[in-house]
Amino acid sequence: MLVSFDWLKDLVDITAGPEEVADMLTLIGLEVEGSEQLEGDIVFDVNVTPNRPDCLSILGVAREVAAAFRRPLTIPETDMNSTLPASDIRIEILDSDLCNRYTGRSITGVTVGDTPEWIRKRLEKCGIRALNNNIVDITNYVLLELGHPLHAFDADKLEGSIIKVAKAGGSRSIVTLDEIERNLSDATLLIWDAKNPVAIAGIMGGANSGVTSGTRNIFLESAHFEPISVRKSAKALSLRTDSSFRFERGTDIIFLENALNRAAMLIQQVAGGVIHRLVDSYPVKPEYTKIDVSIRRVNEYLGTDMEKGEMIDILERLGIEAEDRGDVLNVKPPAFRKDIMVFVDVVEEIARCYHYTNIPVTAPKTTLSEGVISIKEARIRTMKQAIRATGFTEVLNYSFMSPADLDLLGLPEQDIRRQYVTLKNPLRQEESLLRTSLIPSLMHNVVYNLSRGSNRIGLFELSRIFEHRGEQLPREVLTLGGIYLEGRSSFLWKDTVPPFFVVKGALESLFEEMKCEMYEFTPSTEVFLHSGKAADIYFRKERAGFIGELNPHTIEKMNIKIQQPEIIVFELNVDLLLTVIPETIAYKPIPKYPSIERDIALVLSDNLNAVEILRHLEGFHPDLIERVELFDEYRGKNLPENKKSLAFRIVYRAPDRTLTESEIEPLHNELVTFITGKTGGALRGQ
Amino acid sequence: MDELHELKKAFQEELGTVAGLEDLQKLKAKFSGRKGKVSAHLKKISALPPEKRSQFGSTLNEIKKFIEKEVIQLEASLKAEVQQKRLQTEFLDISLPGRRQLFGREHPINQVLTEAKDIFISMGFDVEDGPEVETDYYNFEALNIPKDHPARDMQDTFYVSEDIVLRTHTSPVQIRVMEKRTPPLRIIAPGKVYRCDADISHTAMFHQIEGLMVDTAIAFSDLKGVLELFIHRLFGKDTPVRFRPSYFPFTEPSAEVDIGCIFCGGSGCRVCKTTGWLEILGAGMVNPKVFEMVGYKIDQYTGFAFGLGIERIAMLKYSIDDIRLFYENDCRFLSQF
Repeated sequence: MLVSFDWLKDLVDITAGPEEVADMLTLIGLEVEGSEQLEGDIVFDVNVTPNRPDCLSILGVAREVAAAFRRPLTIPETDMNSTLPASDIRIEILDSDLCNRYTGRSITGVTVGDTPEWIRKRLEKCGIRALNNNIVDITNYVLLELGHPLHAFDADKLEGSIIKVAKAGGSRSIVTLDEIERNLSDATLLIWDAKNPVAIAGIMGGANSGVTSGTRNIFLESAHFEPISVRKSAKALSLRTDSSFRFERGTDIIFLENALNRAAMLIQQVAGGVIHRLVDSYPVKPEYTKIDVSIRRVNEYLGTDMEKGEMIDILERLGIEAEDRGDVLNVKPPAFRKDIMVFVDVVEEIARCYHYTNIPVTAPKTTLSEGVISIKEARIRTMKQAIRATGFTEVLNYSFMSPADLDLLGLPEQDIRRQYVTLKNPLRQEESLLRTSLIPSLMHNVVYNLSRGSNRIGLFELSRIFEHRGEQLPREVLTLGGIYLEGRSSFLWKDTVPPFFVVKGALESLFEEMKCEMYEFTPSTEVFLHSGKAADIYFRKERAGFIGELNPHTIEKMNIKIQQPEIIVFELNVDLLLTVIPETIAYKPIPKYPSIERDIALVLSDNLNAVEILRHLEGFHPDLIERVELFDEYRGKNLPENKKSLAFRIVYRAPDRTLTESEIEPLHNELVTFITGKTGGALRGQ
Repeated sequence: MDELHELKKAFQEELGTVAGLEDLQKLKAKFSGRKGKVSAHLKKISALPPEKRSQFGSTLNEIKKFIEKEVIQLEASLKAEVQQKRLQTEFLDISLPGRRQLFGREHPINQVLTEAKDIFISMGFDVEDGPEVETDYYNFEALNIPKDHPARDMQDTFYVSEDIVLRTHTSPVQIRVMEKRTPPLRIIAPGKVYRCDADISHTAMFHQIEGLMVDTAIAFSDLKGVLELFIHRLFGKDTPVRFRPSYFPFTEPSAEVDIGCIFCGGSGCRVCKTTGWLEILGAGMVNPKVFEMVGYKIDQYTGFAFGLGIERIAMLKYSIDDIRLFYENDCRFLSQF
């Protein structure tokens, strides 16, 4: 809300300068977000929170200033001469739950014309466009000054001498002042003449009854409409006005009469005419809240040590009655402070005028708690550290994806990742779904960075994906995703590891760091991966993710400039990973006796799986074979086509004695016979 | 005895021809090895007449010692020569770069998040968690934001359906935690939140940390104590902190917390819009209506809650003026942190 400092000074006798006033308003809860010098005046941009509709006016802000600086308030004269001519308009409220009070005055013989400059200037400084229709501009002037929305009808355009307040019922439409035809729902509260709707209550007047340059007689409305109903109607119509904004937050049912009078007197002053007697239908009177406030509890709540007198003083400055009943104050807020309903609301009033800055700073008197990092948190930290140690940098992407992202991966219709959550109101179509995989975002990250000259790219993200499984809320799965592209090496010391194994090694290091031993890589059939260079990752027989090179067909869709890039991606269900990590570490004794090592090189068929052979070797004599290491893989020269050579180191060790050569010799020979038989391979060089 | 003399002489002659360690090894084997000349002579002792044995034996022993000594001496000098030669011929261009271990970076948002979490953990707060896709009830209603309440305008909400939203704040975790635990409570809930709003200072997704402390005698002054401590740990202990009134439906009284502008030191600049202050978090005493929603007795417990935006803090910490940089994931940006 824009507040002119000059105008403010009309209503409160301020001695402080604008800067001091702005600071003070901020300190008591009306944050001045900015200020602007305008034609010798200063205009504050005040952030009025939704609980303080009473401050949506110059008067409302003036009240706060008066209370804060202990300065007197000057409310514009609104007492009317009692010997006015009678009004011929009758008011009938049919839905009194939606309209608790409706008042109005006829003003006859007005001259609609230009608006005086001082009114126009003030309107514009406070952000309302002057229409140069003195009647309408004055209703807006009073809206800004006193915070109560008013509406002026051309009385000659009203059928019959009656104003009715009733819901739309049936489906009807009305053309509003902005010349737009509005379709109304049954529940919309309207103002009617004898025959037709003439305004949408509290939101906007009808074009058929508006004040124009030819208008001679007007009927000025000042009413109280129920906030929720106004809000619903305004929302349904997508029509938010200065008037609806105030009504939906709550207006002052008593003071609305003063606003009406103020406007009538200004109109008479500017446009001439004769003011008629008040017509007032007031079916529902306001109920006043009374709250017992214990002095001790206020101090306990705030951690302060205030005197009773200080509290009473604050409340009274705010126009809140506070009756001293010993240890307790009986507090009665005024009609314009509907936000004060219970004890804590009163505490807030006291606290903000005492100033939060004056409340002491203390340490809570509460039970000690341990303040430890939870196991889950600690493990996630370890995981992130491990993946970073292997050269991957963390990214954070939006949780959104585009329908096109699923096509980018080429996922079939029945794929679980097509069970997504859709947003009803996305900002952009590309962000209309919640991610079911981190891979598309990571692919976009690569495209983005390649186009900006980055070369070697290793990125990971740890975020939730959202699987829609038909339950009320989707399943949120904490997921680790990564992408790797080697690019041209800019390093002096070349590394010749195939990219797939760089990334697989990163994951293996990660698993090792997390003490996770229960994993397995098996060939994968993910459609977006290269069928010959992809693996699924299993933890204890449960599929937890995949790693592989992106299918050339998928890469083509990324539209990147590099020739045949090898892009490796992986994705891992972290929730699942965390379930296979041992709770504790049990120490294994360090071997007391020396080991004996034997190397064997086998020439094997190319399609044999190295891990299987390793398992056979390990399983051959578990008591004496401590471990088997695969230390060389070779294809090419000196080997027949479709053959490869794998070299294993067998580490023999007994837990209870030193093994001798003579003991190992026959065992090792047996092992060679066993493995060549099992695999159809031969010892290399034989 | 002559043959012993010859033996020594032969050794001395051959020793003179030794050019390197390899020759020396051969020489050593030839004379003092198991099958060497000294051993051969030793075997002859038994064939000598007894009276000559002693003399022969002691002379042979002397020669043996002599040979060993000479070999050791020469070996030492030859080795020194070899080492000297290596030192003279081998060298690296030590100005070449080393083989660096590439260490990935943590995203700046997560760095700040971790730092903030650790400060609260050190104050005894537990870390709790909640879903990012939430029901209207947890995101709004239970927090005293009924349907058709003007406070709903304070947040632009992404809807999945009439009753399901992307959480607009981490506050629903308060409700979920209070529903399953009884006081005393001291928790934080970090995580992603969503608002349909995007410009230079807003992204549709961002991060918050929610905090909640509930016990039998928690006062507003304690809220000030905890948050002031937090801010001083994060921004330095001389950072001015200001509490001022605000409004959140789920707290009463409510507060916004400002820090003295770290760019201009409070004198007023573009970043703080000349006010000298920067808003960094919202807080307040838990509204008793919220306690009622979760079944806590309102005359038994009081508490405070707060929520802070991580992007905002990261922007201040690193002087970043466009929030969208965090989500572009440009490697040249990420590598700076």
